[in-house]
Amino acid sequence: MSFVSPLSSTVLKFSKKNTPKYLNSSHFSYKLFLLFSINQIIQPRDNMLPAFTENQWKIFKLLLATDKTMSIRDIVAELELDQPLVAATLTYGNEQGWLTIEEKEREELVLTDEADEQIKNGLPERQALHRIAADGKIKIRDLANDLNSRGIKLNEVIKWGGLRDWLTKESDEIKITETGKTAIDTQADDEKTIHLILQKFPTSHSIFLDELPSFSINPQTVKTLLKNRPNLAKLKPRTFRFVSLTPNGRTILKGDIKIIREKNQLTSEDILSGNWHNIQLRRYDVTLEAEMIHTCKIHPLQRILQQTRRAFLEMGFSEMVSPQVESAFWDFDALFQPQDHPARDMQDTFYLNRPNRAKLPEEKTLERVKLTHENGWQTGSKGWGYNWDSERARQMVLRTHTTATSIRSLCQNPHPPRKVFCVGKVFRNEAISYKHLPEFHQVDGIIIDEGANLATLLGTLKEFYSKMGFDKIKFKPSFFPYTEPSIEVYVYMSWKNQWLELGGSGIFRPEVTVPFGCHVPVLAWGLGLERLAMLRFGLTDIRDLYWNDLDKIKEIALCR
Amino acid sequence: MPVVTISVKLLNNLLINEYPMKTLTESLEQLGCDVEDTVEIALYRCPACDALNDKLAQEDAVKRCTFCGCEDEYGFEKHSSDSAIRIDLLANRPDLFNVSGLARALRGYLNLEQGLPSFDCLPGNLEVHVDPSTSSIRPYIVCAEINIPPLDHSTLRELMKLQENLHWGIGRDRKLASIGIYDLDSLKPPIYYKTVDPTGFKFHPLGIPDVEMTPKEILENHPKGKAYSHLLEKLPRYPLLVDSTGKTLSMPPIINSEETKCKINTSRLFIDVTGIGEQAVNDALNVLCCAIAEFDGKIHSVKIITPDNSFYRPDLTPKSIDVSIESARRLLGIPLTTKEFMNSILKMRLNVQACDKIQGSDLYSVEYPVFRSDIRHEVDVIEDILIGYGLDRIPMKLVPTMTVASERPEEKLNNTLRSIMTGLGYTEIMSLNLNSEENTFTRLRLTPGENFVLVENPKTLLQRVLRCHLMSGIMETLEKNRKKIVPQRIFEIGPVTVINPDTEIGVSEFRHLSFAVIGPETGYAEGRSILDSILFELGYKGKYRSIEHPTFIEGRCAEVTVPGSDILWAQLGEIHPQVLTNFNLAYPMVFCELRFACVYPTREVIGHN
Repeated sequence: MSFVSPLSSTVLKFSKKNTPKYLNSSHFSYKLFLLFSINQIIQPRDNMLPAFTENQWKIFKLLLATDKTMSIRDIVAELELDQPLVAATLTYGNEQGWLTIEEKEREELVLTDEADEQIKNGLPERQALHRIAADGKIKIRDLANDLNSRGIKLNEVIKWGGLRDWLTKESDEIKITETGKTAIDTQADDEKTIHLILQKFPTSHSIFLDELPSFSINPQTVKTLLKNRPNLAKLKPRTFRFVSLTPNGRTILKGDIKIIREKNQLTSEDILSGNWHNIQLRRYDVTLEAEMIHTCKIHPLQRILQQTRRAFLEMGFSEMVSPQVESAFWDFDALFQPQDHPARDMQDTFYLNRPNRAKLPEEKTLERVKLTHENGWQTGSKGWGYNWDSERARQMVLRTHTTATSIRSLCQNPHPPRKVFCVGKVFRNEAISYKHLPEFHQVDGIIIDEGANLATLLGTLKEFYSKMGFDKIKFKPSFFPYTEPSIEVYVYMSWKNQWLELGGSGIFRPEVTVPFGCHVPVLAWGLGLERLAMLRFGLTDIRDLYWNDLDKIKEIALCR
Repeated sequence: MPVVTISVKLLNNLLINEYPMKTLTESLEQLGCDVEDTVEIALYRCPACDALNDKLAQEDAVKRCTFCGCEDEYGFEKHSSDSAIRIDLLANRPDLFNVSGLARALRGYLNLEQGLPSFDCLPGNLEVHVDPSTSSIRPYIVCAEINIPPLDHSTLRELMKLQENLHWGIGRDRKLASIGIYDLDSLKPPIYYKTVDPTGFKFHPLGIPDVEMTPKEILENHPKGKAYSHLLEKLPRYPLLVDSTGKTLSMPPIINSEETKCKINTSRLFIDVTGIGEQAVNDALNVLCCAIAEFDGKIHSVKIITPDNSFYRPDLTPKSIDVSIESARRLLGIPLTTKEFMNSILKMRLNVQACDKIQGSDLYSVEYPVFRSDIRHEVDVIEDILIGYGLDRIPMKLVPTMTVASERPEEKLNNTLRSIMTGLGYTEIMSLNLNSEENTFTRLRLTPGENFVLVENPKTLLQRVLRCHLMSGIMETLEKNRKKIVPQRIFEIGPVTVINPDTEIGVSEFRHLSFAVIGPETGYAEGRSILDSILFELGYKGKYRSIEHPTFIEGRCAEVTVPGSDILWAQLGEIHPQVLTNFNLAYPMVFCELRFACVYPTREVIGHN
């Protein structure tokens, strides 16, 4: 056995990537290194008989069964094993000195798609020849049309037809030459070669140049042909590694080999019986993806609602609640909205048939609100200056804002300090569109405090939006009938470079607070939550929030 | 809200400066206006009447003149281009309804003019005699006389637009106040305001020349008559304005007459405002006169003579209100200096001076123009101070008082329930509270009864019923997801409302939990298992009893009570195949609904529906 040469080829070829410099040169110490490694292996060690897994053994068994050289590729194909496994096993075998691995380059003939057509139906000039055979000539234009319909280029025909001396061009016609006439029934040599290749090699098989001689085809003709007509096929160099057992290898491998069973699933029995000593657990490809499963979750919009509640609880607010069905008194009148205000119109508000009329609140409250509307009462205002109708206040509506909840809460306890909030559904009688739903959620909040002022209103809103993940907000003066000053809040949408209005706020007018016995400033705000949710989840249609597509609900990750 | 389109050219003319679009829109926003968007306009001259028609720049050329009706299929020739700002009108600031009012406010904000705008209003010679019969029909009338540069097409159109918007903003759709504008040169004063028998006489209503109609006919046949008939039809007599020759000016609030209308080249205007709201009527006149005055109009007041009284209108004397600088500081949260206080006020076209009534007081007397009808209380001036000072200069702080948070108990319970349900493999859905009768009852094999909230004016049938159970949301969701993999497990937590005449608002509102599982192998046992698990986590045990319920399969439905708990009841069963078919479902399904909290009225145990 020649030790140096196979090993040297192994070391050089298999560690090309990671080979340190000194191993690539014919440095003296490199040869020493090799010698040193070889000596390590040659010492026979009786107590270290090889042990293989079943798959590894299959490879060696195959090699034992033949005295021919086999390529790794063929081994992989024959045994239907993973290529990396086979390569690794053979490398190991090579390192042990049981086999040699030689690299050879072979050229593969890869036919192009174009070739397929030309080989089946004939080369372009052959097809043209047959087309013109009957008349002996044809107008260029007609030929071009004909060729086009078959996907053949005219200049190919003219070039090759000319080179072979089968066709000539005369003014606007192509004519068959004398040589051409004889060629009609006879295949040219290269055509014969192509034909033969097709016959001998079915389409699924790779064609290697070094196999051609065994079919009486001269590789050189093929190479010349391709040099001239590169569009037919490409020659691709392929590296093959050929393996053959060494005599030493044969001896060892024919000996007493231990086969370790390789298993996928570790069982309880293996563990308890101690059998796990005898088995090899197959290595998994840990990089492969597994099936995607999703957790059961709360609804994405609900997450926004809960985060909103959290944000206000974190700022020391108490939560309040009031029903979705409300009297006009609490939804409008108690908030100093005049009885002929456009918002109370049929267009914007849902009025109810059943229940139809509410009971009025207690006498004192009723009287104060009435007088405030009519002439300002003791609030220091002029009021609206009309006759207030208590019957209108008894109308039943679906609440148009959660501010109704806030004012009920103020009535219940007008004494500072209080911070109260409510998250609830409100209703607006609007047509459904991509940005409007007749019902949506609002968070309403009030702060009743001696020290409450506009600066603290802006600060509270900023803090809330910051907690909800929006740091860039702006304020703009606005108008609401029950606050003065009134402020609108806008949030910046960086991806659209636009500001989106998300809510309104302000300081309650004295006409709102004084009738309920409150004499300190009361900050108030009503912020829409569906729009906020749409921003957070990147939705463009508000209706998507209520579509309840079970897959989509599961696919919105909890971190969003 | 109506939207007005403000020409930037015209605005800059009135501002006597060329301000870029961005400055204008930002200033308008900071004044509190609601800027919708900005557009590019192209102007086209009509070959027949010379009027300038406008259209959005990206659209095709104007082909039909909106003023004279002249048509040209190839489009008119382009005259010039302009930009425009579209603004949503603010109901409380009618003085900002048109370009001259906006320019007036902007001149202050942009530091071109300070303090009160001045309006000359000298007493004129016109008299209006008011007949006593009007006091029970349409009691209030005020008038004005204004000389203006001759009207052209665009100024006439601006005037009509302003009139319309004032009808909306102040007049509450002409009910409280309605405006008439006439060519004074076509009238012979004095003017008479009286009432007529609806069939008693005829005149030419505006828009229908050559035809005379009685008032009653107008209400029945004329487009404006039909639109506003509800304002007059119940009255025995209708109001009418005529001049001394008996020529009709108009029948308020419906329609002018053809003969006395405003037209191109009119240079003397007579304006009347009538209505049932005294404040509204005066406000409308004041805003209109001041708006026209900004276009070089000279106002003369008119003497209104009633049986008891006579007075001159419009009265454009500025009003005043006392404002405390301490209140302003306190409300805004800034240490406003006297100088900043006063400058901000002046910037907003108001006047200010210290009150000498009480020595050392912090009160100032603020004078405001009569068209600022929105000023009712000191806080209205403080908002103006805020705008004059600059909203972006206000610092952001938090209220220093410590308060301790508290949650509503039912919300806390909601979250526990969510935790339980997701832990059991259920996904939450959220459905709408409004639905149709069909989805709420018929498709579930239920009869509606009278125990649910019914909406009077829904836009579609889908907003007719406020839900009284959670079944529809669940069923509709499963219907939408029926092509997906089974089994599916969903739940919903939400409010449910039922009628209860004993409460202030006639309803009780509860919190319900519903859950459902649909799949080839599901049945009552699975539902029971889940319900028991929920009750276990809440520390309870349920008592089950068999009931019959049309939505569920006979013999497979239970009613559950949970003694000693807040859970009022639960219903659990397998859904009836007819209901499954009604919702296009192909697998058996188990459904359960629990009532676990009453949030209104609080803490009362109410029987189930």
